[in-house]
Amino acid sequence: MAAKDSPLKQFEIDPISNIELGGYNISFTNSSFAMLITVLVITLFLTLTVNTRSIIPTRMQLISELMYNFIAQLLSDTVGDNGKKYFPFVFSLFMFVLIGNMVGMIPYQFTFTSHIIVTFALASVVFIGVTILGFINHGIKFFTFFYIPGVPFYMHPLLIPIEVISYLSRPISLSVRLFANMLAGHTLLKVFAGFVVSMPFFTGVFPLAFIVALTGLEILIAFLQAYVFAILTCLYINDAYHLH
Amino acid sequence: MNYKNKNLQELNKKIDGLKKLEKKNENKNKVNGASFGFKISTEIIAALVVGVGIGLIVDNYFNSKPIGLIIFFIFGALAGFLNVYRVMRRIEKQR
Repeated sequence: MAAKDSPLKQFEIDPISNIELGGYNISFTNSSFAMLITVLVITLFLTLTVNTRSIIPTRMQLISELMYNFIAQLLSDTVGDNGKKYFPFVFSLFMFVLIGNMVGMIPYQFTFTSHIIVTFALASVVFIGVTILGFINHGIKFFTFFYIPGVPFYMHPLLIPIEVISYLSRPISLSVRLFANMLAGHTLLKVFAGFVVSMPFFTGVFPLAFIVALTGLEILIAFLQAYVFAILTCLYINDAYHLH
Repeated sequence: MNYKNKNLQELNKKIDGLKKLEKKNENKNKVNGASFGFKISTEIIAALVVGVGIGLIVDNYFNSKPIGLIIFFIFGALAGFLNVYRVMRRIEKQR
């Protein structure tokens, strides 16, 4: 495929400045730049909008409070009272994925969530953290998570490996879902953008109209995937507290 | 007084219209099948990937070339179905 006009060109990593440390390539890339922008946007937005602290909120303050309430409600619904401790973690995760997806929707801007290594790193943090949390709460008893009560004893050699694999597949399904949604959406946008220029006469208007509709759908998916990421994190934290 | 009542009636009509619109939108959300199918398929694929990965590691370790892969592939597939079952149960609960 011609690399110049490929719809996948947008996912290429370009180093902005080459840095090498101890034999590892830790260059500051366009992906890191997008993450930096995301973190800056989140920090500035949340601090500036809540700065006024008025009882009758301004519109922007209302948006911040809406996001706060959204995650707080999610945590109290799924985890209960224990969940309050994990609010900062889940909220940061949600905002990072959400704003990362939204920043990616700006034309010419890089979408870092469309790289599986980024989403897998996020999912691994959740997975390892939740596993450690389970061991802290239940000690060695955490292994009974894989033991289903009320099943004939001869079924356990079959069921325990299945439960373990099901548990291990969590970070993969969590990361693949976010990554594939973003990758597919952005590739589709670029493919249809290619149709706009290659179709004869005025017929390019139709794919253009489709792109407009698709952009709206992509923004919905960007929000939905961040929500799914957050709610699954909450459910996993809940599992670490309540075995079965 | 009469004028006020008329205003209220109009407001009532407006609210009813908006409520109907909301219901319509709710129905629209339920039709979103693509994301639903995607959710289910990733669950199966993830479990299969883990199963195959464990199978390959076991084969590498015990030098038992196809047996570990076969066994853990089947375990992975079963775990995938278990994942789908759990997702479905959660979705059913939400409704």
